[in-house]
Amino acid sequence: MTQLLEVSGVSVSFDGFRAINNLSFQIGKAEMRAVIGPNGAGKTTFMDIITGKTKPDDGSVLWGDKSQSLLKMTESQIAQAGVGRKFQRPTVFEDQSVADNLTLALKKNRGPLSVLRFRAGHADHTKVAEIADEIGLETALHRKAGELSHGQKQWLEIGMLLAQDPQLLLVDEPAAGMTPAEREHTTELLTRAAETRAVVVVEHDMEFVRRLNCRVTVLHEGAVLAEGSLDHVTSDEKVIEVYLGR
Amino acid sequence: MTDTALSLSRKNPGGLGAGPQSRSFIARHPSVLIFIGCLALFTLGVTVLAEGFGVGVISTSFVKTLGKTLCLCLVALAMDLVWGYTGILSLGHMAFFGIGGYAIGMWLMYARTELIVATSLAQSPLPPTPQEISDGIASQIFGVVGASEFPPIWAVAHSLPLQLAAVVLVPGLIALVFGWLAFRSRVTGVYLSILTQAMTLALSLYLFQNDSGLRGNNGLSGLQNLPGLGDVPQSTVSMWFLWASAAALGLGYVFCAWIVSGTFGSVLRAIRDDEARVRFLGYSVEAYKLFIFTVTAIIAGIAGALYYPQAGIINPAEIAPIASIYLAVWVAIGGRGRLYGAVIGAAFVSLLSTWFTGGQAPDINLGVYTIQWVDWWTILLGLSFVAVTLFAPKGIGGLVDLIEARTSPNRHGADLGPDPGALREREADT
Repeated sequence: MTQLLEVSGVSVSFDGFRAINNLSFQIGKAEMRAVIGPNGAGKTTFMDIITGKTKPDDGSVLWGDKSQSLLKMTESQIAQAGVGRKFQRPTVFEDQSVADNLTLALKKNRGPLSVLRFRAGHADHTKVAEIADEIGLETALHRKAGELSHGQKQWLEIGMLLAQDPQLLLVDEPAAGMTPAEREHTTELLTRAAETRAVVVVEHDMEFVRRLNCRVTVLHEGAVLAEGSLDHVTSDEKVIEVYLGR
Repeated sequence: MTDTALSLSRKNPGGLGAGPQSRSFIARHPSVLIFIGCLALFTLGVTVLAEGFGVGVISTSFVKTLGKTLCLCLVALAMDLVWGYTGILSLGHMAFFGIGGYAIGMWLMYARTELIVATSLAQSPLPPTPQEISDGIASQIFGVVGASEFPPIWAVAHSLPLQLAAVVLVPGLIALVFGWLAFRSRVTGVYLSILTQAMTLALSLYLFQNDSGLRGNNGLSGLQNLPGLGDVPQSTVSMWFLWASAAALGLGYVFCAWIVSGTFGSVLRAIRDDEARVRFLGYSVEAYKLFIFTVTAIIAGIAGALYYPQAGIINPAEIAPIASIYLAVWVAIGGRGRLYGAVIGAAFVSLLSTWFTGGQAPDINLGVYTIQWVDWWTILLGLSFVAVTLFAPKGIGGLVDLIEARTSPNRHGADLGPDPGALREREADT
């Protein structure tokens, strides 16, 4: 299979409310995709299903060359398989330094015993410094993550994603609460990441999506409403109705 | 995907991150060296002043109190690891402490009774058979609960190595099974606390029964007498145990400091602060919790095995839920999330408790009412727990930050970030 992730016919309901309704979605190995949709369209639930937080009632989620099913794996196994996730609100470990946060995310054996024996060596420090440089936090390595500004925390979380070295990045509203200059840097980071891996960006802000310059999937009521270039989907009758009709 | 897959825009600043982390373990954790130094000085001081090998200013019973306090400090370290670092508020760790005590107590009681029985049977005209000796020991030990046969759990009580193994294995296995069941079902927070509380209560109630095989509410006694060493005065034995307790505490401290340093400690603190996020980083949170729960149960078992020979007696009341709650109170007052905080808390509060409840504290006569500390001590302890929780969440250990904060830049308490919820300098600087 040429796709990295293949979600087909997935449905999930919470107390009778169908959050995701027969949703199908594919993404290739080095592709950027924006997922847009009105509030309640199921964007976050969609990410929850891929990352194993929510188990769907129906459908399948296949991953990688071996078409492994992600549905039987735990969150940590899915993350180890190569799915990284950034949350809407920046969730970094505020009580720990930027360097600690990044070291924690570095791609390593995650078993308790090997982590217990692990001591960060020169290569790890260099790697952490490289990532810190890329996300513009090279001077803040030894500051506590809790001291960072909102935008810096967002970047730190993106940096943690990069440190994990995932094949698929799920990024929830990366530009929320950022200044225009910060947005530009974020766009740059994501575009560069998408050169070598799959990136799914959930975003409300059309201007930001336009800048990403990628295929767009529009979700509505838990299903795919339209897919294509931004110009294509924004000229789609159904999309206009959903976004402007009510 | 290789590491180089990430194309970098700017050039690599080199060993920027190689700052404090490339130094030696001791250099990165000066508190370990300070702690070991203080512990060595304390032990030396007690040795010089005690009856056993010194001038005799400190009584043997007080040496035992100090030795027991060291064991309590060790179990407080375990509690700090599981609660202060990993965020699992276990209210059952004193059960593991008690199990360690019972395990060593069984051998102490068996071996000493065996000597007594052998001596008394030696006077009979016929040499006693092994069965007679065994029956004699059993009726001596279990006479108080109306039994005269060894329960199955005493099968290896004759062997010191096997009972020492039990000190480590029994708490470890119970914690492993209990933790596996609880963490696998993702029981967290207050529900887990209740579950651990129920575990220690169930164990305590079970041991209160006469047919539990551990002498019901009589417990095991005479543990201060070491078998075959009846000639050695208690003043000497007390020093041996003080040294053993100090050594265990020192090793335990270094071991805990090693565990919480590096990425493992980072994962533990991350689990405490946001365990869902840790899962999405690819760490199996349950495996880490199970590991730390089991390791701390073993530490608690070892501490108990050193404590009860100094106390002389163990009974099921020792593992009642209140004991584990006290443990949490010590760690909270001392300052959780820092190892020396747990030690300071346990030593300070338990010694103060000994002073107040031992009738040494002077009563306060208010004219209309006399405050007798034996009764009022628990109320004072409860109030100080509430006060610490509300006004000084860092506990006594927070005083160290006050001293160190003088050298760090003062931002006059301003917010550290633009968010309304951003940490204030005081909070972030732990």
